[in-house]
Amino acid sequence: MAQTALEWQAGTVTAIRPETRQTKSFTLALPKWMAHRPGMHYDVRLTAPDGYQTERSYSVASAPERVGTIDLTVERIEDGEVSPYLHDVVATGDQIEVRGPIGGYFVWEVEMGGPLLLIGGGSGVVPLMAMLRHRAAQHATIPARILYSSRTADDVIYRGELDALAASDRAFEPFFTFTRQSPPGWAGYQRRIDATMLSEVIKPFGAHARVYVCGPTLLVEAVANALVQMELPIEQIRTERFGPTGV
Amino acid sequence: MNMDDADMNTALMVDGNAVAGQLMDVFGRDMTMAVARCAGCTREAEMGALIAFTRGPGVVLRCPACEAAIARIVETPTAIYVEARGATFLRLPR
Repeated sequence: MAQTALEWQAGTVTAIRPETRQTKSFTLALPKWMAHRPGMHYDVRLTAPDGYQTERSYSVASAPERVGTIDLTVERIEDGEVSPYLHDVVATGDQIEVRGPIGGYFVWEVEMGGPLLLIGGGSGVVPLMAMLRHRAAQHATIPARILYSSRTADDVIYRGELDALAASDRAFEPFFTFTRQSPPGWAGYQRRIDATMLSEVIKPFGAHARVYVCGPTLLVEAVANALVQMELPIEQIRTERFGPTGV
Repeated sequence: MNMDDADMNTALMVDGNAVAGQLMDVFGRDMTMAVARCAGCTREAEMGALIAFTRGPGVVLRCPACEAAIARIVETPTAIYVEARGATFLRLPR
């Protein structure tokens, strides 16, 4: 299924939804929409009046089953070039230049099977959410777990949807860990993801787990190294590193 | 957070998957599942799994096993330069 070169197109912002203090989801209607594979991203290009252009990649959060539109969930990076514009300037009805879907490496589809272990840090949860939404849209019963690291409970993106999915789907279980501050009475994990935590979460899946790790580079490095030390076959691990954004 | 240079270099790494759009500009197709063999250590890896450094004037793709530079991509206003002497070959799936 060779994909040909993609052209830039102007997507129209049809909805903007705040997810957390630092993240918003943008729904874009695309004139040349095509189904993405869950985990893929779009490049977003901004052009200044003087012609200066800059691009960033943002993962698709929505499932490919939703035709004609995509959701991009964007974290506001304080000294960023693109995300502050998207957060502070873009309004419903505006047009944004995008191209995609791109990146066939970090993808999971129901046909690929499981069990599925998703590990995310911060906004690294976004492509993982596309996989879970796709799995739900397909009514798949493939066992799935997500281990999701955030600074505080307020920084958890899609918390309500993850909890609702867990309540309605016995084959899915979310695990949260808080690295800076846990909510009062929290009995779950409250530290950075480490080997002990990984071995607890992966235990029922054993060496068969297909693992997707997305987040800041240092988190992804630590998780990938721990998984390899646990003798999980490297072909079953897919990573997507964000760079230095800290969680 | 205090980081020494090695840590900072590590923190700046992303995956080849992150430059999928730029690779598509060069090759006209999704290259993230194409395999590159490292000329240094012979390890084969999907281009999406290479280590990518994107904060310089160009993109440098490195081997995930030995970290040798496999390819460099530099864009100028009139051309795109691709230097790939660190790869024995690229294998593109049909």
